[in-house]
Parts: sequence; structure tokens; C-alpha cells
Amino acid sequence: MIELLQNLIDGLGRGSIYALLALGVAVVFGVMHLLNFAHGELITISGYAAYAAGQQGWSWYIIAPLIVVCAVVASLVIERVAFSRVRGESDFTLLLTSFGVHFVVSAAFLLYVSASVKTYPRPGWVTNTYSVGPLNIEVFDTVVIVVTIVTLIATTMLLQRTMFGLALRAASADFDTARLMGVKSDSVIRGAFALSGLLAGIAGVFWLMRAGSTTPSAGIDPMLKGVLAALIGGLGSLRGAVLGGFALGLAEVLLRSRLPDSIASLTEGVIFVLIALLFIFRPQGLITVAHAERV
Amino acid sequence: MFPSLGRDVAFPVVGSVLLFSVFVGAGLIYQNWLGGAAERLVTVMLIDAVIVLGIQIYVGNTGVLSFGHIGFGAIAGYTFAVFAISPEEKAKRIPDAPFGLAEVDVSSTTAVLIAVLLTVAVALIIGVGLARSGAQSGAVSATVITLALLFVTHEVARNWPELTGGERAGLFFPIGGKLDTRVPIYVALFGALVVARVYAQSRSGRLAVAAREDNLAARAMGVNPLVQQMAALLISVAVVSVGASLRVYEDGSLLPDNFFFNYTLLTLVMLIVGGRNSVTGALLGVAVMTAGRELARRLGQDGFEIFGIGLDGEPLDWVFRENLQTVFLGVSMLGFMILRPSGLLGDWEFDEWLRSRFRRSRVGRKAQAAETETKPDPLPELESVEPSVLEAQGIDVSFGGFKALSNVGLVARSGEVIGIIGPNGAGKTTMVNVITGLVEPSSGKFSLNGEDVTSTPTHRLARLGVVRTFQNLRLFAALTVRENVEVSALIAADHRQGRTLIDVDSVIAEASLWEYRDRRARELDYGNSRRLELARAAALTPSFLLLDEPTSGMSDLESTEMIEQVRHMAATIGAGVLVIDHDLNFITGISDRIYVFDHGEVIAHGSAEEVQADPLVRVAYLGTEGTT
Repeated sequence: MIELLQNLIDGLGRGSIYALLALGVAVVFGVMHLLNFAHGELITISGYAAYAAGQQGWSWYIIAPLIVVCAVVASLVIERVAFSRVRGESDFTLLLTSFGVHFVVSAAFLLYVSASVKTYPRPGWVTNTYSVGPLNIEVFDTVVIVVTIVTLIATTMLLQRTMFGLALRAASADFDTARLMGVKSDSVIRGAFALSGLLAGIAGVFWLMRAGSTTPSAGIDPMLKGVLAALIGGLGSLRGAVLGGFALGLAEVLLRSRLPDSIASLTEGVIFVLIALLFIFRPQGLITVAHAERV
Repeated sequence: MFPSLGRDVAFPVVGSVLLFSVFVGAGLIYQNWLGGAAERLVTVMLIDAVIVLGIQIYVGNTGVLSFGHIGFGAIAGYTFAVFAISPEEKAKRIPDAPFGLAEVDVSSTTAVLIAVLLTVAVALIIGVGLARSGAQSGAVSATVITLALLFVTHEVARNWPELTGGERAGLFFPIGGKLDTRVPIYVALFGALVVARVYAQSRSGRLAVAAREDNLAARAMGVNPLVQQMAALLISVAVVSVGASLRVYEDGSLLPDNFFFNYTLLTLVMLIVGGRNSVTGALLGVAVMTAGRELARRLGQDGFEIFGIGLDGEPLDWVFRENLQTVFLGVSMLGFMILRPSGLLGDWEFDEWLRSRFRRSRVGRKAQAAETETKPDPLPELESVEPSVLEAQGIDVSFGGFKALSNVGLVARSGEVIGIIGPNGAGKTTMVNVITGLVEPSSGKFSLNGEDVTSTPTHRLARLGVVRTFQNLRLFAALTVRENVEVSALIAADHRQGRTLIDVDSVIAEASLWEYRDRRARELDYGNSRRLELARAAALTPSFLLLDEPTSGMSDLESTEMIEQVRHMAATIGAGVLVIDHDLNFITGISDRIYVFDHGEVIAHGSAEEVQADPLVRVAYLGTEGTT
């Protein structure tokens, strides 16, 4: 029981980061039908910015907001340079475009920075824990969960209470109709990428804080988590993405602590198999989004 | 009519021989020019070509983007290595291999065979998953399943050192055990080319391509895309497995990263640069990218001093560094996706071009004088067919809270023309969707010749003879006019037994499309597209032909002509016709009986006169109550 509770808290901490990543993926998917395999590159780019700032001797508390700003800017630049040129193309083209962006960014860091691991400073409390009764809780997890909850509430308010939010939700439901109703496609799509970058930035702060270092291929892992969580939740559903993120985090923690030792190292593999099974039996994900094909 | 040995086998084989010669020849010339240094480059290119052709068979014909083929390659590669490496060598590297594999001693050829069989078996399971996930062109969840496969194989390879030698040590062939001749590679490459081309021309290949172009329309024509996709997957994986085994043998070693992200990127870029829908394109892509990477590598290594050209490269020095290849790959992929997503060649296929040249010169010689000679016979007169009855009772459909249809009943018989009319949003198209199995009614029953066919899948209904056209045109855009009609004819030949098959050429001529028969459907204008939809549906020899606004967007003259074509075709194949429209004059002009829909209900039903006289119709549809 205690162990389960412990897993639950650890899973929430992990799942929070995934939820933010997945939400960013889902927001972009909503307006453009683009599954963004380049989402993780926002974190790679921010990671190198953190490294550069660390070299200047800046403290973590300046680096953290810098990471967020970097992710937003990078998201907008990538949209401008690549995705804006393939709007409305086939899903096949969109998928490969984002895959291409992923490779260009990681290859560029490999080529022009270095293949080696780059570190940056991080606050001392990252590894601290405190106890509540029999539970050991990481300070880090606590901060992550609190910040995530605040971010999710703010995002909900943004989507529910502002014109931008309305436009974005309308565009997600039916892009063409939304355009006919006067929603400006350019600004909605750019807004979606900015929001996606912001969420990736916040997730990135924690991701990078935990990792403590970055490499050219550092984006693969967060990309996978974000994309998978968004898919688990049901693509196109923002609520589903958040749910998917938490589900993925919990599943990871539970499996890692419960799988027999002999296959514990295969946790990631087991999760992939589980996800594949989920798609096979529930192709639309946990939350069903009505996608009536019009004929 | 099918299959035609000349078209479906001879030309692809001849084309493959020529392509193979050019491809291998170019490699050998480069090799002779540069000597030993280029030898390995060419060998690698040939093996890459086998793998890329394998991927093309699936991705090209189905349109489903797969990241997983290199994962299949990993399975095949490891299987091959574990079987092909000698027991003495295995005792050193993987003495604890499970299932007693450390002692197994078989020849390399047997090992390839085992690798192919095992990998195809895995593909069978993955294929079921892909089918369940609703794989179709561009489908996102199918692509993610393939990505998951790539990661799972990589994870397993890294974390199962007893079998794979693990992440660092890997598996090795003893020195000297490598390929000492290229013959197996040549055989594999030629085989891959022939398989890829013959598959594309086969029944399964054509149906898969139809589904790639428009999944829904293909199902409505009786194609079951999942079966064809599975066939494409298994054949594709078999070819990839052979290529992967060769790759492992040539490398002489195997590490988990050999079959992972970077190789996936490389092979996919090769595929899309040349044109993923074309076998010729896939081969061209391999050549172009190999040349490009070689150039990038040399630029990275030697800067500007290459091929005797010397430039002062100082300001740009930072661009050209080692590892330039990876950037080159990423930029190529991005560039092609943005500027030319269909690749250099698009749908162009070498042997099809050969065939069209060949035919033109032959026809030109023989029949220049009598141009009309090639015009096909008109459709034959009706042979008697068993009359059919289509009956729907108490059909309810609701979307969320909205009732699209409530308690709708309808009867149609062969030989009749039934009109369905009503304002926009009255539920007409929903009714057609119910009848063709695209929308499942929440209640009600729907039967064909007394047999309950409620919730029968679309493709099966089409095979039973319920065939439709679409309001918003759904042709197989990349196929020619003739190929569009042939898709239906292929299905009819297998599933409409007892019916006289319609000659493809006659239907095309009947629809006034004879002169456009070799044009691609996407090049047709609006009116011709509509006529092609009709011809494609008629070639299936349906018992019931459902036409969803067949004349929308047509001029009056075109409409009249279209009505004549509909009537004539329906009479020839003995089909009942259901026509949807919102134009009262049009419907009353052609229908024997009319159903009037409004707000999801049938508000009137009867002959044209009866319906026009019905007061409810006048209120609901004409918007007037009084006499006119």
C-alpha cells in the first residue's frame, strides 16, 4: 500500500512533465494535423542555450526563464522555416517534415557544437527529498507537480476565456469552418506553436534540471514521451493528452518497480508493446474524438 | 482481360533488367575510376538499394509511412548473425545464448532463409496490429506503431546481451568470413526489383494503390484495403530481411545502432528523394543520395580541394565539417518534403514508359489510317439477371444529440430508378451512407434480397452489389482513367460471379472518356471526373447503383447527357438506381418513384405526380402552401 502510494507520487511527478509535452504536441496537432516529431528538439535547443548561459557563469534562476523563452522562439522559428511551408499537405508529408526537422536540428548540434555531453549548473535542491510519514518525496517532484497544475489551470483559462483560446478550439474542431467564420489561420497556427513552445519550455526546465546535461540526440526521449502520451490520450483531444501524460508516467514508474529483475531493463520496450496493444484495441486512444469522415 | 502476361510480367521484368544494368553499371564505372576506395561504397549502395526497394513495396503501394522497416531489418539481421556465425565463434561471444543457439551450425544461405521466415512471422503479428489501428495512407497511429517496433527492437538488442552481444560488444563474424563475392548481392538486388515491379502490377498491388489514393472509395468499390496492405507488408518485409542479412554479412559485425534511427533516416530519405510511389524512383533515390553523401563526406574531409577543383573556402569553412552527411540527409528530407513531396520522379515508372513507347510505335504503324478501329464495342444489351430488392426499415441514426435519420423506410428494386430528394441537411447522404455501410444505424434493419445486411462492412456490401458514387468526387487520383475502372473490374471478376462482366474499354467509351483513357484521374476536368465515377461504379456490375448528386456542378446539357448515360448503363447491367439530389425538376425527370426527406424523416413517397401534389412536400420543400 505504502509502496503503491510512493509509486503514485513518483508517477505524478514524472507524468507531469509528460503531460506538458503531450499537451504541446496535441495543441499543434489540433490546428495543423501535424504529429510533431520535432517537439523534443525544442528541449535540445534550450539545453544548449542553458549550456551556453552556464558557461557565462549565470545562475540557474536566470537560466530557467531563458529556457522557456528559447523554446518559444525555437518553436516559432521552426514553424516559420519548415511547417508553414507544408500547411495543408498530406499527412505523409507532414510526418516526414517534422521527422526531417528533428534530424536537421540534432545533426546541426552534432556538427557545429559537439557530440560530447554538455553540462550546466542546476540548483542544489534537485536531489533533496523530504519525508511525510513513511513516504519519501522528492523536492523536485513536488515543484514539478505544483508548477504543472498551475500551468494546466492557466492553459485552461487561456483556452476557455480568451478569444485566442476560442479560435484555437474552433480551429481544432474544424479548421476550414473556423476559417470561414473569420478565424485567422496564420495567427491561430502561430499562436498554437507559441503555446506549444511555452509548454515545452516549462517541461524543458524540469527535464533539463533532472538530466543535468544535454547531447545532440537529447530530444528523442522527450519527443517520444510527448508524442506517445498525446496518442495514448487520443490525438486531437487536449484533455486526453494531459491524461495520457500522467498515464504514461504512472505506467513507467509502476512497471519499473514491479517488473521482475530479469526484464526490468526492458521497461521501455514493455511500455512500447503496451502502447502498441492499446492502439490495436483502442485505435482512437483513451478519449474518443469524433472524426466523422465527410462523404 | 486479367492478368495480362505482357503488361504485368514481361515489361516489369525487361524494365528491371535494364534498370539493374544501368544502376550496377554506374556503380562499377565509379568504382573503376576511383579504385579500391570506392569498392565498399558501391557494395553498400547495392545493399541499401535492396532494403529501400523492400521498404518501397510497403510504403509506396499503401501510403502508410513506416519507421519500423529498419526494426524488421534488425530482427532479420540478428537472426541471420546468430545462425550464420560459427559455433566456435559464438562460444567466444555469446556462449549463453538461449534456446541452445550457441551450438547451432547452419550455412549462410539457410541462415538467410530462417531470418526471412522469422521476420515475416513477426510482420504478420505487427500487420494485424496495423490493420486494427485503421492503417491507411498517412495514418498517424499506424506510423507510431511502426516507430514503436523500431524502438522495441533496439531496446531488446541493447538489453539482451546473451543473444545479441549487447550494446558495445555486439556480434562479429571472424575475419575473412565476410562476403568475398558480390554475386549474392546482385541476385538479391535483381530479385528485389522484379518483386517490387511485379507486385505493383499485380491484383493486390493495384488494389493497395487504389486504397492508398482513396481508402473510402476503394472500400466502396469492394476493396478490402487491410488484406492488400498485409500482403504488401509481408512481401516488403521479406525483401528487407534479405537486404538486412546481406548488410550484416558485408559489415562483418552487428551492433544495435546499426539498425536504428540513422539508418531509418537514410533509407527513408533515399525512398522519398527519388519518389516513394515509384520503384524506379526508389532506385534513383539510392543512387542520388549515395552520390550526395559521398560528396558531402569528401567536402567534410578535404574541404574544397576535390576532384581537382580548388576554391578558397575560408569564409565557408565552418559549413563543411566531418559528419556533414547527417546534415545533408536531414536537409534533403526537409527540402524534398517542402519543395517536392512526391520526389524526383513522382509516379513515373521506367517500364511503363517503355511499354507506352512500344505500344505507340506498334499502334502507329498498324492503325494510323483507321483511327476509330480501336474504339471498343458499345456495351452489350442486357442479359436477364435475377431481380434484387433492397429494403430498409425503421432506420435511426443520431450523431451525438442530433437525430440525422428517424424511422426511415425505403424499398428499391432492380430496374427501377428511385429519387431521393430533400433540402440540404435532410439526411439524404446519411441514408446513402447507411445503405453502403459507412454509417451504422442506431436501430433499424436493412436487407438485400431478404438477407439481413445491417452492419455489413462497406467493401462486402459493394461485393454484394451495393455500389455508390460520391458527392465530393473520390477518384483514385494517381491512377489513369482505365486503371480506375480496372479496380472495379478486378473486384467484379472475383466477387460478382453470375454476372456478365463488363468490358472495361466499353464502359470507358460509354462514359465518353475514351480519348482520356490514359490520362491520370487528377488531370480530368470536373464533368469527366463525374463521368469516371459513374463508369467506375458501373464496372462493378452492381445490383444497386447509388448516385450522390451525380450532376452537381454540371451544366444543363451535361446533366441531360449524364442522365442518359446513367439510364443506359443501369439498363445494361440490370441495376436499380437510387439518385440523390435537391433539384426537384431533375429528380422528377428521371425517377420512377421518389422519396422526399426532410429533417431526417421521409415525409412523402410515391410517383412524381403524387409527390408534387403532396401538401406536406409543398410546405417543407417548396416553402409554399398555396397553389402555384
